[in-house]
Amino acid sequence: MIVPYSHVLLLAVLLFLMGAVCAVSRRNLIMILIGVEIMLNASGLAFIGASLHWQKLDGQVFFLFILAVAASEVAVGLALLVYSHRRTRSVDSNDYSLLKG
Amino acid sequence: MKTVIFLLLFFPLLGAFLHAAVGRRLPRRGVEIIACASVFGSLLMAIVAFVIGGQKTYVLTLLPWIDVNDFSAAMSVYYNRLAAMMALMVTFVSFLIHLYSVSFMREDEGYVRYFCYMNLFVFAMLIITLADNLVFLYLGWEGVGFCSYALIGFWYRDIGNAIAGRKAFYLTRIGDVAFGIAIGLFFVTFKELSIFYINAHAVSLGAGMATVLGLLLLWAAAGKSAQLPLVVWLPDAMAGPTPVSALIHAATMVTAGVYLLMRMFPVILESSVALFIIAFVGAVTSFYAACSALAQKDIKRILAYSTISQVSYMFLGVGAGDIIGSMFHLLTHAFFKALLFLGAGCVIQALHEEHDIFQMGNLKDRLPAVYWLFLAGALSLGALPLTGGFFSKDRILLATLSHPELSYKLLWGLAALTALLTPLYTFRLFFVAFLPRPGRRDREIRPIPKLMVWVLWPLALLSLFGGFLSLPAIWSGGEWLSKYLASVPGTVSLNIPPSLEWGMEIGSGLAAVAILILAYFLYYSTPFSFRAFWEKLLFTGFYLDWFYQKMIVLPYEGIAKFLWLKMDEGSLNEGIDQTGNLLPIFSEGLRQWTTGRLSTYLKMLLLGFTAILCALVVGWYYF
Amino acid sequence: MENFPILSLIIFIPLIGSFFALAFWRRLNLCRWTSLCFTLADLAAVFLLFAQDFKWRSGPTGRWWLIEDFPWIERFGIRYSLGLDGISLALILLTAFLGVLCVLVSWKQIETRVGAFHFFLLVMQTGILGVFLSTDLFLFYLFWEVQLFPMFFLIGVWGHENRIYATIKFVLFTMTGSLLMLIALIGLYILHGRETGNYTFSVAQLMQTHLSLPAEILLYAAFLFAFAIKVPILPVHTWLPDAHTEAPTAGSVILAGLLLKTGAYALLRFAFPLFPMAAKLSVPLLLVLGLAGLFYAAWIALAQKDLKRLVAYSSIAHMGLVVIGIAIWNAVTLSGATLQMINHGLTTSALFILVGMLDERIHSREIAVLGGLWSRMPVFSAFFLFFAIASMGVPGLNNFVGEILILIGTFKKEPLVAGIGFAGLLFTVVYILWVVQMVLFGEPRKEHVLWDVTPREAVILVPLAIAVLFIGLCPGPILNLLQDSVGSLLDFLK
Repeated sequence: MIVPYSHVLLLAVLLFLMGAVCAVSRRNLIMILIGVEIMLNASGLAFIGASLHWQKLDGQVFFLFILAVAASEVAVGLALLVYSHRRTRSVDSNDYSLLKG
Repeated sequence: MKTVIFLLLFFPLLGAFLHAAVGRRLPRRGVEIIACASVFGSLLMAIVAFVIGGQKTYVLTLLPWIDVNDFSAAMSVYYNRLAAMMALMVTFVSFLIHLYSVSFMREDEGYVRYFCYMNLFVFAMLIITLADNLVFLYLGWEGVGFCSYALIGFWYRDIGNAIAGRKAFYLTRIGDVAFGIAIGLFFVTFKELSIFYINAHAVSLGAGMATVLGLLLLWAAAGKSAQLPLVVWLPDAMAGPTPVSALIHAATMVTAGVYLLMRMFPVILESSVALFIIAFVGAVTSFYAACSALAQKDIKRILAYSTISQVSYMFLGVGAGDIIGSMFHLLTHAFFKALLFLGAGCVIQALHEEHDIFQMGNLKDRLPAVYWLFLAGALSLGALPLTGGFFSKDRILLATLSHPELSYKLLWGLAALTALLTPLYTFRLFFVAFLPRPGRRDREIRPIPKLMVWVLWPLALLSLFGGFLSLPAIWSGGEWLSKYLASVPGTVSLNIPPSLEWGMEIGSGLAAVAILILAYFLYYSTPFSFRAFWEKLLFTGFYLDWFYQKMIVLPYEGIAKFLWLKMDEGSLNEGIDQTGNLLPIFSEGLRQWTTGRLSTYLKMLLLGFTAILCALVVGWYYF
Repeated sequence: MENFPILSLIIFIPLIGSFFALAFWRRLNLCRWTSLCFTLADLAAVFLLFAQDFKWRSGPTGRWWLIEDFPWIERFGIRYSLGLDGISLALILLTAFLGVLCVLVSWKQIETRVGAFHFFLLVMQTGILGVFLSTDLFLFYLFWEVQLFPMFFLIGVWGHENRIYATIKFVLFTMTGSLLMLIALIGLYILHGRETGNYTFSVAQLMQTHLSLPAEILLYAAFLFAFAIKVPILPVHTWLPDAHTEAPTAGSVILAGLLLKTGAYALLRFAFPLFPMAAKLSVPLLLVLGLAGLFYAAWIALAQKDLKRLVAYSSIAHMGLVVIGIAIWNAVTLSGATLQMINHGLTTSALFILVGMLDERIHSREIAVLGGLWSRMPVFSAFFLFFAIASMGVPGLNNFVGEILILIGTFKKEPLVAGIGFAGLLFTVVYILWVVQMVLFGEPRKEHVLWDVTPREAVILVPLAIAVLFIGLCPGPILNLLQDSVGSLLDFLK
């Protein structure tokens, strides 16, 4: 192996954390979606690294699954976002607080 | 014999029950006949019992009552000579007073209630007289207390009467606490609650326990007989109808306390401390009451204080060890005091409900019979020579004087002083109320029924000649009562040198006559009164009632309010309400997290997920 | 006749009646008569019990006069087992009797939702009867809760002004105790099962468990807490004045006459026998709290302005004496305590009924507006005075017998407590005579519309008065009923 598995995992973790922070701390809905996208890709990276480490194709197959899911999730998320933007004229997540207790 | 005693007790109970159940439906005469007949039945039974059993002692169980494990309280009676005499007196005086009541209450609408309570009272008093089991006696004890309360507050529309009745009940209940504790102690010490048994085994008591028991019995008796410090209820109890005052607060209930001490005398005899304290209480109360009587204006209040004073003499007699003398004085006192009260009732009704002696006057020609009969009672109360009161009081004074201990001589001094005051206040009353008042307009007389006056005659005869019950030996009398009661447990025979006895009798006789003359001069034309301060002091009974109000009644009510508002409502309730509030506060705190904002929820999601993962890792590592 | 489940019949007759009452909810009078018939039938069934000759039978559920034992939820060792002895018999007689009186008392007073009212009333009666008769701890807990929730509705729907606060407080208090007791119950079940391998809720078998002292103390504390709230013992009594005051008359009668007794009964039937060592340790505490309750409640009663609240505080005072009797645990005091439970059930119920009658006429419970009733309602006033002096402990009436037994029995072991107890009787006199004076004596007030005792009210009051007088003068029969059972109870705590 050219790259030790631990390095791949470290990169994946860093990317995941960055995506998480982005999703959690941004108010713009689109940025939250971007953060989620990054998290998904980071976990995909971990799977690729695993497939390389154990010399099995299962990881790469799983990455294809993740890609498919991510794509459909983004499509549905953006559709919802557009719809709700049409209703409330805002992409600020703080404005959607009807569930406030 | 069992039947006789059962009927003795049962007749008044039956009377009361009939009154309660069907009294309203019967005509007035019917109710009155039932009332008097039931007491007359008791009187007959008492006479029969005396005739057939007066020389013997009986301990009989009439009915079972409470019986649990080792505690048993049956309705049992102990009929001995003391009880025989007491029963005769109680039934006789009650009968006369019931007859009197028929006339006295002739215009009152509540007569059914009145006679029901009166009959119930006689029943309860007879229980006290005859009971053997202490719990059964307690039944009678509380019973007379309740009837006294109900009858004092008989005219309930005036709330003052109800308050007076309450006061009486409170003070006697304070005494009853001691009685209850005494019953407990008797049970624990003797395992038995029979007076007969306890008296028979009294010698096995140690001095300490005997003192405790004696003092407890004294406290109970002091409540019932209105001695210091539980004395303040009796003057106020005069709010009740006059026959009630005569029966309950002169002849019977107030003597129940002394009677209890006499019945349980063997127990008290074991403790010289208890005896002295009883005598002390008697002497001091006697003096206190006699002084207070000097400043009273209400005719019944004077007689009330006089009752306290005379009952104290009986206590003094018991304390000096002479039960026979106490019983003798009890009997004579019952007669002359009932006479005085009933006479006062005649005067009150005749003068349109006037109670103030300074508003009365000139009754010699207008109410001649009452005048002379009242005079007879007054002579006996004042212990003028040869009256019943003279002999009985002298016997007690002799017993006190001849007691070996020095302290008793001091008590004798106090009692002798009181004996000087007694004719003073008595004749103050008589002269002010009955003799003409120069320069004063007399009030109109209302005619009073003859029955009220006829009843007074037998009492007057007994007051004046009651001394013959126990004429001392030096008068070559038979000393019948002394001999009769000599076999009662606890009695001691007095050995008084005849010279002492003569000296005492002549001395007291002269003193009484002297005081009578003094009273005439002091009170006949212009009534003498003390300086304002002393007058006020004596009038209020040395401010004792005021003291109790301030020191006990007001703090009690204050603490009740405090406990309610500050503690129950305040601390406890508030505390629990606040504890209950913790839950909403906690919920409020949690509510902060439901902001409705996506970013918050995402943060929580992330944190929670991290926490679970960490827990898993830690768990995997350690287990 | 031997095997006829008469105990279950007695327990469930009111339940059946409750459904009938609910069915007739539109026709008010039919509803009331139905409830009356069912409660009378229950009373008759209890009287039937007296016709039996009672012999002691021993069984796996203990020593009783009548036993009914059926398997129920075998998986957890829960059986449907009932047992009758003298104490339970006296108490179910009281329950059946007061049940009839409650229906009679509510006749004119409850005008809205009558069907529901009688439904809850009868369900409560079932619950209370079940508590007095069950010998399986789980069944007991079931009935304990069943007697709770109808009272919530009774107070909350048909009560007076402050009823919501009162009923929620009542439920929360009782629930807290019950839940703690449930935990302890299950704990005991598990401990017993671990020790003997036999998982059962039967009280007789659970009594054989050997518990370590800390465990026993903890379990006992939970039980004691639950029952202390019910009895009530100071300081967890504060639910009672509110609940009694705001409840309708029938509710107050059941609360004071019966519910308080279930607490005391459970204390002596379950808490003491199951945990003897812990119970012995708690005796000083119970004595102190009992005495404190006696004085404290009697003292506070004097300051009350609401007549019903005053009677409620008098309940606390009387139960304080019962607690003392149970704590001392000897033959005399236990007889006295159990007798006093019956007595208190009779006299305090009578007082609440009288107050309820006043409420119907004057629509107020304030003492200040009353006065001079004797001149306008002599028969009522006579009954009021009668029950007031009975409550005060005047000899010849019922309370005295119970009180003297408790106090004299206590004297043998703790003379100081007994002495103070006698003084407590003095405090009782103070407030009772005060309230009698305020209500009955004085000048009559013109502004009230008053009528004297009606025949229906006489039917309620006269049997109570007869019972009070009878127990006072002739307590022999009922004491004999209680004696044997008290004797067998005593064996549990040597």
